[in-house]
Amino acid sequence: MIAVLGLVVGVVAGLLVRPEVPAVVEPYLPIAVVAALDAVFGGLRAMLDGIFDDKVFVVSFLSNVVVAALIVFLGDKLGVGAQLSTGVVVVLGIRIFSNAAAIRRHVFRA
Amino acid sequence: MSNHEESAENRLRKELPEEVPAAAESTEAVDSAAEEQSPQLTGRQRLAKGLWPPRVTRAQLIVALLLFGLGFGLAVQVASNSDGDSALRGARQEDLVRILDELDDRTQRLEDEKQGLEKQRDELENSSNQAEEARRQTVEKEKQLGILAGTVAAQGPGITMTIEDTKGTVEADMLLDAIQELRAAGAEAIQVNGVRVVADTYLTDSGNSVSVDGNKINAPVRFKVIGKPQDLEPALNIPGGVVQTFEKEQATVTIERSDKIVVDALRVAKRPDYARSSSQ
Repeated sequence: MIAVLGLVVGVVAGLLVRPEVPAVVEPYLPIAVVAALDAVFGGLRAMLDGIFDDKVFVVSFLSNVVVAALIVFLGDKLGVGAQLSTGVVVVLGIRIFSNAAAIRRHVFRA
Repeated sequence: MSNHEESAENRLRKELPEEVPAAAESTEAVDSAAEEQSPQLTGRQRLAKGLWPPRVTRAQLIVALLLFGLGFGLAVQVASNSDGDSALRGARQEDLVRILDELDDRTQRLEDEKQGLEKQRDELENSSNQAEEARRQTVEKEKQLGILAGTVAAQGPGITMTIEDTKGTVEADMLLDAIQELRAAGAEAIQVNGVRVVADTYLTDSGNSVSVDGNKINAPVRFKVIGKPQDLEPALNIPGGVVQTFEKEQATVTIERSDKIVVDALRVAKRPDYARSSSQ
């Protein structure tokens, strides 16, 4: 419950404050958001499976974000930034879908 | 987190519909740390339990913090993406370079087009200026020629010569002599009793009086002449000249100088039947 509240408060704060995104972070923010979404779906599924562990969630959340940003950074340096970030988004999207499928099975039994 | 084997799970579910005895076969990191905490609960029950009642534990707080960060980032990204003017903000460097190149090309093309159109405009302006100048000169010339041809009225300094001929002794050749004398003295426009005198004017005797261009002239004969008065009057008054000739025939001649003589008798311009301009 507190976690859901945290998400809601975060969205509201982001909409209200509307901070300027620093130019350095700008290319990485969308990928990092998608990676964090993936971690959240994974965590939700683990909770439904009854195997949720906060330490694992924190580590996977942070490592997902960092690795995604790192891949984009590396891609930019190698000159294949656009393709690589597309690849990252595709992979994360597939994971999010499979996690969402597992969650759906738990919640709706279908 | 994602490598759950769905077929295995489905099979398990068919055998044990009420229980999902955990993803022991999962290889994911999250799962590896898991022990079966409450095997008798379904996922839905666990979800409900997690949501209500709210428990303030360290795990919940940390997850809430992370989710706060996620929500914040999400909202910021969405907001900055939906700013209308910053469609290029998220674009990558190579895309920006391509867009810039395209814009440069387009600018170049439009610049070329603009130069072409400007050149065309200058040419049109020049030609219309020339046409305007030619028209102005033509109008000017038409006025000058109109005075000669008698198609327009004229005014200027000159003299009025009145011949009182009570005895009807004035004849056409005497008037013609007077006109020739006036022309020789620089008369530019002449009218006799309302008849304009031009190049093809003819004078004839008709009984006691004289006809100018077929119009009978009644005494007194009144010449209106535009020219330099100081030249015209002496030319008429020279000994043995026009005035003396008239006086010999007992006609009285009065000459008045004037600063403003109006010659307003007009003639219709006649198109010659045979003569054509030989200039191009």
